Amino acid sequence: MLQMKHLSKVYRTHMVETHALRDFSIHVHDGEFVAVTGPSGSGKTTFLNIAGLLEEFSGGEYWLDGVDVRGMGDDARSRLRNEKIGFIFQSFNLIPDLNLFDNVDVPLRYRGFAAAERRKRIEEALARVGLASRMKHYPSELSGGQQQRAAIARALAGSPRLLLADEPTGNLDSLMARGVMELLEDINRQGTTIIMVTHDPELAARAQRNVHIIDGQVTDFDAEPRLRVPTRDDRAALAAV
Amino acid sequence: MEIRPILSALMRSKVAMILIGLQVALTLAIVCNALFIIGERLERMQRPSGMNEADTFWFGSNGFGQGYDPFTVLRADLALLRQLPGVAAASTTNSVPMIGGGWGTGITLQPKQKTATADTAIYFVDDKGLDAFGTHLVAGRNFKPEEIADLTMGNRLAPVSIIVTQALADKLFPDGDALGKQVHLDEDTPASTIVGIVDRLQQPWMDSRTVEYSTLVPAHMPYGNSTRYLVRTEPGRRDEVMKTVEQKLAESNRSRIIGRIRTVEQTRREAYANDRAMMIILGVVIVALLAITALGIVGMASFWVTQRTKQIGTRRALGATRGAILRYFLTENFLITSGGLVFGTLLAYGFSLWLLTHYQARLLPWYYVPVGCLCLWALGQLAVLGPATRAARVPPAVVTRSV
Amino acid sequence: MFAYYVELGLRSLKRNPVLTALMVFGIALGIAASMTTLTVMHLMGSDPIPWKSDKLHYVQLDNWSAEQPYSDDGRPPDQITYRDAVALMQAAKADRQAAMFKLSLPVQPENPELKPFQALGRVTHADFFAMFEPPFAHGGPWNRDQDAGHARVVVLGKDINEKLFGGQNSVGRTVRMDGVDYTVVGVLKDWKLRTRYYDLTNGAFAEPDEFYLPFTTAIDLKQRSSGNNSCWKSSDDGWDAYLESDCVWIQMWVELDSPARLAEYKSFLDDYVSEQKKLGRFPRPLNNRLLDVTEWMRDQKVVSRDVEVQTGLGFAFLAVCLVNTIGLLLAKFTRKSGEIGLRRALGASRRNVFTQFLIESGVVGLSGGLLGLLLTVLGLIAVRALYADYKSVAQLDWSMVATTIALAIVSALLAGLYPTWRACQVAPAAQLKTQ
Repeated sequence: MLQMKHLSKVYRTHMVETHALRDFSIHVHDGEFVAVTGPSGSGKTTFLNIAGLLEEFSGGEYWLDGVDVRGMGDDARSRLRNEKIGFIFQSFNLIPDLNLFDNVDVPLRYRGFAAAERRKRIEEALARVGLASRMKHYPSELSGGQQQRAAIARALAGSPRLLLADEPTGNLDSLMARGVMELLEDINRQGTTIIMVTHDPELAARAQRNVHIIDGQVTDFDAEPRLRVPTRDDRAALAAV
Repeated sequence: MEIRPILSALMRSKVAMILIGLQVALTLAIVCNALFIIGERLERMQRPSGMNEADTFWFGSNGFGQGYDPFTVLRADLALLRQLPGVAAASTTNSVPMIGGGWGTGITLQPKQKTATADTAIYFVDDKGLDAFGTHLVAGRNFKPEEIADLTMGNRLAPVSIIVTQALADKLFPDGDALGKQVHLDEDTPASTIVGIVDRLQQPWMDSRTVEYSTLVPAHMPYGNSTRYLVRTEPGRRDEVMKTVEQKLAESNRSRIIGRIRTVEQTRREAYANDRAMMIILGVVIVALLAITALGIVGMASFWVTQRTKQIGTRRALGATRGAILRYFLTENFLITSGGLVFGTLLAYGFSLWLLTHYQARLLPWYYVPVGCLCLWALGQLAVLGPATRAARVPPAVVTRSV
Repeated sequence: MFAYYVELGLRSLKRNPVLTALMVFGIALGIAASMTTLTVMHLMGSDPIPWKSDKLHYVQLDNWSAEQPYSDDGRPPDQITYRDAVALMQAAKADRQAAMFKLSLPVQPENPELKPFQALGRVTHADFFAMFEPPFAHGGPWNRDQDAGHARVVVLGKDINEKLFGGQNSVGRTVRMDGVDYTVVGVLKDWKLRTRYYDLTNGAFAEPDEFYLPFTTAIDLKQRSSGNNSCWKSSDDGWDAYLESDCVWIQMWVELDSPARLAEYKSFLDDYVSEQKKLGRFPRPLNNRLLDVTEWMRDQKVVSRDVEVQTGLGFAFLAVCLVNTIGLLLAKFTRKSGEIGLRRALGASRRNVFTQFLIESGVVGLSGGLLGLLLTVLGLIAVRALYADYKSVAQLDWSMVATTIALAIVSALLAGLYPTWRACQVAPAAQLKTQ
């Protein structure tokens, strides 16, 4: 699903060079749920930005779902982001001026779906996170947990292959956090690959695999997944149940 | 493009939208009406006087003292003027187009007619008058030297022959057979025969509603001891001849004062100075207004971009291309401007109606509004281009920055 | 506390110099446009003789043709005939009265070094000076007896006295005009009139008169008016026929010291016209008017249509600038909502926040006003350059300076009110949590 080989990222100002990532390699398989942990400033966010095609990298290779993204133009990366990746942010990043329906609609618009298709997907996604009745509400009228579920619905609506979550429960209390976590696990069971950045060891423990980043390098790499990756057949079986 | 979501997002920040819209509306209303007034003035200023304006000048002579005979002086002056080198034609006249003062009367077709058929200006000229004005005879003949009468202010106006402008001839005799017809320059006076028609010669009053209706009367007609002369020179020799005239006439007779010698071009400038001033003032207001509105749009759009950085980043993260962000802001501006323009159209006609009722102005012609709208749309898009480009450059990675 | 807010305001304005410049410049432009046009309109229309403008009345009689009114809207002619002027002067029913007309005469200086020149003056009665109060430098007006005696006397304006006598006291000396000698009885000081309101027919912004002659004397010498002359039917040949004709060419003013006197004079005029009707004159219905100075100025559109339109435009322009400023202040204050939240959390009351931001708006207004004042001065210079006639009315006076500054501050405060109110709505904690 996602493979980085000897990847590096250097921030340059006219005074100093900072190596945010150094010789960074990771391989995430289809259907995995990976938790990325590490102290502040270790390069977690940089990794997430590069993985999500939000930033370019300075050296190495990055293959996303079989596509070599090295040297890709801004528009192509936007397109790829739109089709393959869903984002969930710590501060939700819902657009305050749009209601939930329109918020979920944003990535679908850029995808260029027809109106009927968009409506179907928005309704399904919001139903899936339990917000079908709140479609016309604005973000400010919702609780934090509801906002994050709406953000998850927005991430899911485009049926991405990869979900990137940046401290998805960081702004939530423990009860809401549990609900969001359960939702993510449920999504993962249905086949979407999830990479979650978190500093919460308890959350990380619920993932199939943990990756620890210190000083821009992976230090603790579970070579093999702890659980077996569901195959296509398994998924078909699950859907049949 | 995605109009509905932009619109619903806009509705969440109504005040800012209303402010820009209102500014656009007022600008449209003012610019349309100001442009219309400028257009009207321009039209007014471009009306031809019917004269050769480039090569002519005029001046007055005021005699004083006992024993001053204006007719003797007038004949002597004309003889002097006509033999000066460079002079193409010289005549006496009581007035000149655009100087704002002259003689007017009502023309009647019947001797006892109660109301006049047409109001006309009267120019008292001699047989060189047409030549000095540089106006063209289109029918009939010029005055003969023996037709020139000596008139004073106390005399009644009943010349045997007159020459009228084409416009006046058509007004008096709509069938086009004015030549040779008789009219009365006043009730109770004997009839005058139209012996010639000139293509055009404006009245001295620019504001007259009958500015094209002029009549030429063959007479030497001093006002008291004052006389006025009109001189046309050979092309290009005007300024040189003006200097000679001033000198020669002052020498020729010590008991009179030669007034300021003015070219007809100068007279035109002075006559339309207020129109010109109005046009300049309106032009300055239009430019300043457009500048202020454009700066206002730039200011507000910059602020919106700053305020919505995170939102722009989110959109980018969700797959928006730079072009999509640019289009978003351009579309947003287009919507606000359009709203303003709808209101502005109403305001423009409101202003126009107000001017119509208070100043008898004409109603704004329809095409000013669409042209104004196009300009303001273009202005809005240009103004927002800078901030929108800045928005498009917001990196998607801002979404993961914890503020 | 006020000083603290002013300091905060200044500091805040310095932080976004471009935005601040935009706001100040916007207000300044709006103020300059509206104040330039307003000054011209105000001075043009202002009462030139406030202490007695309601006592001076302009006489209008409708002697026009039965078939056609003098003007389409039914107003009587703006001048009267010679015979009516003489009749009203002889009746002398008003407290003061003066008929007048404009006259251009050749002046022949005694000094051989001076060439003869043409001068524009006024032919009138002795009461003119008491009614319109021109300031005398030397001597004084002629009297009513000299009117009656057709005296050959003259009152000189300052400039012509300067030219002929080097500015000395010329009372008692003679001036030759059109071959006739006149004795100087008075010399005026510089008589500055914004509008030459006593003769609006021949140009409200014309240059001051250079000399004044007795009415009776000028008629003796058969001097025709250099001003407007309108006839609805032609007179017979000759000077006497002209004087007897229904041509209007004379202006007449009366001074009436009370409303009661005004009513009396009005009925006197009506009686006079009714008498004349019996003689076959005045074929139109009774249509006499006695407008006072300000009414007459309005009637004669001293403030021209163009000036009114320009003033309207100036204020519409100011409105656009204000809307612009509201938008920019709103943007600015919203950007500072974090700071406001913090201040509120640290104990600032709504009123404190309100004051702080309103003062910031006020500072913008004051700067805009000062710059606007400068631009207004430039604007007036431009108006003087564009309109040769408006030298006397395109001038800034103290009341206008004060109005400018006040208008700027009020405008900016008004523009600041809504953004400030919005700033006050920021809850103390809200901003701190999310940002």
